Amino acid sequence: MAIGRRRWLGVLPALALVVGATGVAAQSPSTGEYDGVTVNVVTFSGPPIAEPLERYAVEFEAATGATINITKYPFSDLYSKALADVATGTNSFQLMTLAAPWVADFASAGYAADLTDKIANDPEIAWDDIMPFFRDIVAQYAGKVVGVPIDGDFTMTYYRTDILGADGVAPPKTWDEYLQIAEKYDGKDLNGDGVPDYGSCISKARSGVGTWLFNGVLSSFVQTMGTGQGTFFGDDMTPLINNEAMGAALDFWKTSMEFGPPDENNLDQQGGRDMFTSGRCALAIDWGDTGVLAIDPATSKVIDKVGAVQMPGSTNVLDRATGKLVPCDATICPNAIDGVNHAPFAAFGGWSAVVNAAADEKTQAAAYDFAAYVSNPTRSNIDVTHGVTGMNPYRLSQFGDNMANWVAAGFSEAAASSYLGAMKDSLDNPNMAVDLRILQSNNYTNVAEDQAISQFLAGELTKEEAMQQLFDKWQELTDSIGREVQAAAYAASLGVQR
Amino acid sequence: MSSASQDTRLESQGPVLSGPDPVSTVRVDAPAKSDWNNPRLARNLFLWPALIVVLILAIFPLIASLVLALSKVSLVKGGFKIDFVGLTNFRTLFLGSERTHVLGQAGTPTLFGWLVFLGGTALLLVAFVRTVRSRKIRPLGLIGRAVGGLLLVLLLWSVATTVLGSGGRPGTLMVTIVYAFSGTLLTYLLGLGLAVLTTQRLRGQRFFRIVFLVPLMITPVGVAYMFRMLTDTEKGPITPLWRAAGLSDFTLLGDPWGARLAVIISDVWQWTPFMFIVLLAALEGRDLETEEAATVDGASKARIFLNITMPALIPVSATVILIRLIEAFKIIDLPNVLTNGGPGTATESLTLQSFISWRGFDLGSSAAIAYTLLVVVTMVGIGYATFIIRRTHSMV
Amino acid sequence: MKNPLRKRTALDLSPPAKVAGYASLIVWAIIVLFPIYWLVITSLKLPIQVAAGPFYIPGIDFTPTFDNWHYILVDRFSDTVRPFANTIIVALCSSTLALILGSSGAYALVRFHYRPRIGVIAIWIVVILGTFVAVALGAPWPLAVVAAIAVLLILLQTVGKRFKRTLANSDVSFWLISQRMMPPVAVVIPIYVLFQTIGMLDTLPALIVTYTAANLAIVVWLMRDYFLSIPLDLEESASVDGASSFRTFRSIILPISRPGLVATWILVLVFSWNEYLLALFLSSANAQTMPVMVAAQNSTRGPEWWYMSVLILLMIIPVIILAVVLERFIASGALRGAVKG
Repeated sequence: MAIGRRRWLGVLPALALVVGATGVAAQSPSTGEYDGVTVNVVTFSGPPIAEPLERYAVEFEAATGATINITKYPFSDLYSKALADVATGTNSFQLMTLAAPWVADFASAGYAADLTDKIANDPEIAWDDIMPFFRDIVAQYAGKVVGVPIDGDFTMTYYRTDILGADGVAPPKTWDEYLQIAEKYDGKDLNGDGVPDYGSCISKARSGVGTWLFNGVLSSFVQTMGTGQGTFFGDDMTPLINNEAMGAALDFWKTSMEFGPPDENNLDQQGGRDMFTSGRCALAIDWGDTGVLAIDPATSKVIDKVGAVQMPGSTNVLDRATGKLVPCDATICPNAIDGVNHAPFAAFGGWSAVVNAAADEKTQAAAYDFAAYVSNPTRSNIDVTHGVTGMNPYRLSQFGDNMANWVAAGFSEAAASSYLGAMKDSLDNPNMAVDLRILQSNNYTNVAEDQAISQFLAGELTKEEAMQQLFDKWQELTDSIGREVQAAAYAASLGVQR
Repeated sequence: MSSASQDTRLESQGPVLSGPDPVSTVRVDAPAKSDWNNPRLARNLFLWPALIVVLILAIFPLIASLVLALSKVSLVKGGFKIDFVGLTNFRTLFLGSERTHVLGQAGTPTLFGWLVFLGGTALLLVAFVRTVRSRKIRPLGLIGRAVGGLLLVLLLWSVATTVLGSGGRPGTLMVTIVYAFSGTLLTYLLGLGLAVLTTQRLRGQRFFRIVFLVPLMITPVGVAYMFRMLTDTEKGPITPLWRAAGLSDFTLLGDPWGARLAVIISDVWQWTPFMFIVLLAALEGRDLETEEAATVDGASKARIFLNITMPALIPVSATVILIRLIEAFKIIDLPNVLTNGGPGTATESLTLQSFISWRGFDLGSSAAIAYTLLVVVTMVGIGYATFIIRRTHSMV
Repeated sequence: MKNPLRKRTALDLSPPAKVAGYASLIVWAIIVLFPIYWLVITSLKLPIQVAAGPFYIPGIDFTPTFDNWHYILVDRFSDTVRPFANTIIVALCSSTLALILGSSGAYALVRFHYRPRIGVIAIWIVVILGTFVAVALGAPWPLAVVAAIAVLLILLQTVGKRFKRTLANSDVSFWLISQRMMPPVAVVIPIYVLFQTIGMLDTLPALIVTYTAANLAIVVWLMRDYFLSIPLDLEESASVDGASSFRTFRSIILPISRPGLVATWILVLVFSWNEYLLALFLSSANAQTMPVMVAAQNSTRGPEWWYMSVLILLMIIPVIILAVVLERFIASGALRGAVKG
């Protein structure tokens, strides 16, 4: 078409402007290194973990051009869904948040990408800032890094500072003291509403978190020589659960029900936390979540009335040769504090972001970067102060210089010190106990152990029957998976650095 | 109604015409003149699409599950491997470490338990002898009945020692059976009553009908959580009532039979509309002529119901009870959400037990439990079809 | 204004019976409605109000808030609307498909005699299994299907004719209903692998086909009984007039069976609407349905009752509307007097 030359000349600058504008737009932050890359993330329905992931996905997308899709499943289905996805070769997810005990299953079968090099080349993730204990338990398997830690977990005991303080009662150091305190306050009105409350609230519902909380009791009877000794198995993968130590732990578990709500064996995790934060319990056992939930004005009636201590211990411990409980002394309890053996239990271990090894290079890189983005101290150190994120402290910097963030979140300095102090005590304890992390740990603890404990509490089995049933079941499992394989996995999980 | 129990020797009978007889009659194929010039085509086109859909999606999973039930599945590098182990899974369930879990713990039967066992066994013996005497049965049928009878006797013994026994507790098999039969019976009676009520000349029937349908509309997981909320001792609406009555330590879900009762109540609440809607459609579609005539003659409502309405409803009732019974055996959402199968294993149904194994990726054991359930339900189904369906439907 | 001289019909009640009738209806209505009322007010409560104990009456016991509804419908709109739309599509399609296939099948099983030969059935089963095995061993599935069809046709013409022993309609019916006997948990993984092989995971058609197959048996068995109650006169006269089976079915049988058809359709719709386990496995992000979303509210922190109540109510509302609309089809009473007329 014949457009006059003049016209062309007029068009040219406009064209240049447009091209220039596009060029400028092309260089703006929205086009980044991961343009066109899609990372499908799978996690459990939040808000814990899912809420921060969704929040950071938006930021990450804007900064790098990647597309992050977050799919959530009910917690109880996450393990099977993720495993089915990789084991059948479907591979619809490139990044999976997995519980530390599950990492063994995914890593041993080769589904988890090896991130060792990426970590080594990434100063921003501040690898050394992550507490060695969590690095090993949450992120490593057989010497390789297979996940990015985004959360660290272990359990503590909480108590009402106002109630116990008024009577000058010190927080419990042994399980016997725990029961005494629980008995003392059971039936009293602890939150001023005229209804009698309870001495102790522990979530013992079946298929819930009860097994993890229980193992925190068990460990103090069984493990004395340090993390490397382990809680669950002896030589040749013989289960250490058919002895007086297990019996003592089961006794505690059952007796504590007398001082708790009537349906404690159907009390789920949220129910237990709600009860404590609405002031109905004098004592509770839980992860760090109760601490941050207790300072939340939207849900808590016990703000500034909550203290925490590391898990109580026992003055009688297991003699592994005889299976009997013997009193603590310097030889058998080298880590005892004032004659009491504590073995704080890193229940659950923590959440790990695992990259699917079947994804292509670019997607793996994007997935790793997203996980590292979430784990980065600048963001993570704030997240751990908010209960809604579900992230509990796992970095040194979250304990040390983080006080400003804790206070900003609503802790009083006293409450924060108590809370963090209990955590630090636990993590510093050389006798800290590692959660079970072998192949199909889920079956050992959440299926078999959970069932046996539940049946014992319900009276379907006697203590001896429950222990024997569990022992047999664990032997059966180990035999079918392979004793050597499991022994190697178990040893690897215990070889954690301190 | 003698026609209802006739054997169906189709070729030898012509069409039997009867007016408002709701139990249908036999018809010989009378191909119409214009069935696309091929009566056979018409017949096949009606039925085969349905059969093919089911065939393809049914056969493969059935066989695959059988393979899984006879294997051990484990994870290996790059996938999973399936090792054939024969009947190990089943042996564990019935003879090994899971025996008390599945079959329960036998106690000593109470007096009532003895009555039930001995009475039931006596009835079965009488029925069996009568069948033998009647000579109308083939040898295969006799063996089938003998085996079935024997299993029923074992079942009665199990009931007497676990459910009605002191010191015993029922296993998942017995609990599932209790759920299925009690749930079906209660929902049927309620559904029937409601259907009859809502077809009477009362005000507001439309409103009531819609309301009564509602429980079925709620997703089962939702119903389960709803009842979980209702039975919660901290947050539930019923707890203050217990407290006012002085039972502040009462917990329904903490007690084995209390928890089972909660499951049954929730199940009945949820599934009554199923019976209701089917029976309502049947009642609405019936011909009222006979009933009108009887009313004019002065018969009481009860007489009319028992002699005219009920017999017309029997075929539909038999079918809907069978359908519901089969579904009821698969109950899982309610015990899972209410108590996770607890306290202990008190409310675990077979499907829940299978699901728990499956969640731990023990696919072999899970499939074995599922197959056990399949066998149980098939036996119940065959027994039911033989004794009830054949008698209530003249054809098929 | 009721005519006092109107004759008493079979559906009238005497006054005391009326009172008893109303009382029973009201009692059961309360039993049905109270839990739903509890759902509604829970959806209007904040988490702290839920945890603090039971509050019964909005406005008096506690201050209701629409926060939860706002969160689900506004903040999480796209996360909510997608499963909702999926559920509607899947449920409508699968129930309609099941109704069409199932009622035709039911009619056939009631009016025609089938004598499927055992040989033919065995061949079908063998061929289908063989296809699956071939695909499992690595054959590309379109090729395997074509080959299977070819083998099937050949075998049917040759070997199939040799085994004369037959089954009857009742066996076919029983086989159909026996499909419901297998607990879904056992078939989930094989079906998952099946759809993964043909690349149909996380698609709506996969769910539709699966639900149709799962619910066909119920449709067949229920419609059988409704068809059985239809007297033969109508069909006899139609066939004398030369109408084909299709014509008879479409023009005579279906209209008369409307109450049964509608009731069955509602039932199957509700089953598909509410199905959880297969949806959990056959869908990931795209084909997720509402029941999975409801269950997903059970986080590690415990069930989030407030959001869950909102989602459950969102799920009920469309189905209730449907039930209201369709209820009058159940109450059509079309058959009354049809034969005599």
